[in-house]
Amino acid sequence: MNRRNTVVALGLALGLTATGCSAMGGGSADGTVTLNMVESLTNPARTELLQRLIGDFEKQNPKIKVNLVSPPTAQADQKIQQMLQSGSGVDTVEVRDITVGPWSNNKWLHDMGPDLKGWPGWSQLTENAAAAAKDEEGRTYFVPYGFYGLSLFYRKDLIAEAGYDKPPGTWDELLQQASSVQDKAKRRYGYAFRGGPNAVSNVTAVIEAYVADRIDPADGYRLTDGSTIFSAPEAAEALKTYIEIFKKAAPPSSVAWGYPEMVEGFSNGSTAFLLQDPEVIATLRKSKAIKEEQWTTAPLLAGPGGKAVQPLATAGWGVAKGSKHKAQAVKLVEFLSEGEASTTFAQENSLVPILKEAAEDSFYKTGPWASYVTMNENPDRYLTATQPRDVPWFTEWTQKADADVQRVLLGKMTQEQLLADWDAYWTAKRKSEKS
Amino acid sequence: MRAGTAPPAPEKVRPRSGSPRRAQPADGGRRKREFTTRRGLTIAAFMAPAALFVAFFTYYPMIAGSQMAFRNWNLSDLTDTSFVGFGNFKAVFGDPLWGTVLSNTALWVVASIVPQLVIGFALALWLRRRFRFRGLYQALIFFPWAISGFLIGILFRWMFNSEFGVVNDLLMKASLIDEPVAWLADPKTAMVAIIVANIWYGVTFFAIMILAALQSIPDEIYEAAALDGAGKVRTLFQITIPYIRATLALTVLLRVIWIFNFPDIIFGTTGGGPNNETHIVTTWMITIMQQGDYGRASALGLLIVAGLLLFSVFYLTATKEKGVRR
Repeated sequence: MNRRNTVVALGLALGLTATGCSAMGGGSADGTVTLNMVESLTNPARTELLQRLIGDFEKQNPKIKVNLVSPPTAQADQKIQQMLQSGSGVDTVEVRDITVGPWSNNKWLHDMGPDLKGWPGWSQLTENAAAAAKDEEGRTYFVPYGFYGLSLFYRKDLIAEAGYDKPPGTWDELLQQASSVQDKAKRRYGYAFRGGPNAVSNVTAVIEAYVADRIDPADGYRLTDGSTIFSAPEAAEALKTYIEIFKKAAPPSSVAWGYPEMVEGFSNGSTAFLLQDPEVIATLRKSKAIKEEQWTTAPLLAGPGGKAVQPLATAGWGVAKGSKHKAQAVKLVEFLSEGEASTTFAQENSLVPILKEAAEDSFYKTGPWASYVTMNENPDRYLTATQPRDVPWFTEWTQKADADVQRVLLGKMTQEQLLADWDAYWTAKRKSEKS
Repeated sequence: MRAGTAPPAPEKVRPRSGSPRRAQPADGGRRKREFTTRRGLTIAAFMAPAALFVAFFTYYPMIAGSQMAFRNWNLSDLTDTSFVGFGNFKAVFGDPLWGTVLSNTALWVVASIVPQLVIGFALALWLRRRFRFRGLYQALIFFPWAISGFLIGILFRWMFNSEFGVVNDLLMKASLIDEPVAWLADPKTAMVAIIVANIWYGVTFFAIMILAALQSIPDEIYEAAALDGAGKVRTLFQITIPYIRATLALTVLLRVIWIFNFPDIIFGTTGGGPNNETHIVTTWMITIMQQGDYGRASALGLLIVAGLLLFSVFYLTATKEKGVRR
């Protein structure tokens, strides 16, 4: 060991530390800007598609390079939160209706409203998309790239076998048909019941259908008189029917069923009905157990009043407040939200599109997609109501509500207790929000 | 570490080759001090990158995380992160789930570790013998340790699926059950399912550690025992176990800490459900974090660290008192 060694070691230490701190900037000497774009609902096919679209964007904008960051879906939102909190490293970001509330509340998102003032893309957006792109105060924290809407997937052959010539149109009819199809001895079940993660979404879909006449379109959890949907007498009827479906027409293990089990139950041919998003269409087309002619979709189930409420869920692209290249980041959001890029993204991800023109495409008018057209063409029967997914406590709510649903299914809580508890929860939260 | 072996006899201190003057410098050790300082600097410089890395990426987040435990640190609103004293700790203790989570954690650790130790020990004893394809069997047995815990959770979630899972299918074919058991739909059977998955995963670690320790036992001792007429059981309890006691003690300690801190399988299999009844402290902490309440999650994290520290101190003291050599 001599002095030279000491110097080498110190140099190494400094070098390594400096290397770790590099690669932070986004600009280069020739004026090229590198944007960091982070996606949340990552999957390999989607990432590949995004890379393709980014390639097109870079061709149109040679001075902008885009670095796509794709964290694994399960941890993506937490990683994005950490990046946004640090204030650097993110320019364009995937914002979901469940994350926009806390992120905008913490001032991590840039209001794109002023930047998009003269954007021609506004006139191309569907009514739902334009509404979702602005919050109550008219700020634009993200432009949606599509919608996840529910429809009823059903087995044509199984309901015909059970003596029905058309799919159920109401929740009561579903109870009837699914009970007729169920035959435990043959390991055949009626309905792919959701009792596990996100069970609350289907429970609220039933309740909303039962209170459709009185629902507040701006808040799917509220009635027009300001009270919660859980306090309505119809909610008790709705929950009763839904729990009957579990008891008479669903596999007992569906207490713990989440998305994968529900889709598997339908795609392996053991379950006749499934309430899911259109993204399932692509999965079912790959099924080896059931052929495409054996299944299709029907519009969302209605309540006794003959109406259903579409609980649209959405996500889109936004810009981080800490971005040093906001103009370029907004340009990327515009590119992804219009024309070919938007249509391709929606179609390849089986999303309800945001562009009026795309909705007219024959792609959305045939086969399993036809039910979405039916729903959109009959807005008086299939109402839309914005779900309060942007409230900062929505994740806390879903975790609590999912556990409550399981409690009812396991007989550890009554249906009345559940509704009273949910009513008290939302009333208190709304009150604290106002204060 | 060569666990279980007798402590080595102290090495005889021999003067290094060279003149006695070199061993005892005439300048009263000044040269030696200079040499030590420079050497120390070099060592420190080489260690600096790693030390800085650990400081920034381990200790800083740990300290930063600890102070969150005493603040109102909720991701849904970071505009007010005021000091709340022990408020987050009170919220943890006052949560109706706290009791369930504690008893689940105890059950999860004990019911997992005992079979892991017993089966792992048996496998190690079996693998110690020389037989054909021993290497292949070893590789097969050690394989689970290379798989991600979350993936194992997902695999077992499907295996225990009531309608499509292989577990029910096998049990029905073996006529052990008449109709499918909804394993993951009932809190009690769901707990059994995750513990089975954990046992399958952790047996490997015990087998690896115990096998390594067994290989340090000289064959002569077994030969001498055999000559003295000791049977298999006596050999096991009077030679094998005492010889590898230190390894066993350390492995059990490590596994207790790891199992305590191992939410992966539970998340992949039940997600803490149904009805939050399969949560252990770490899965519960993650759930609270997912809700954005980093303050409460940090408070729980500190409680976990404190609990494990206490356990380690008691455990190490207890095993030391019994004369365990490390």
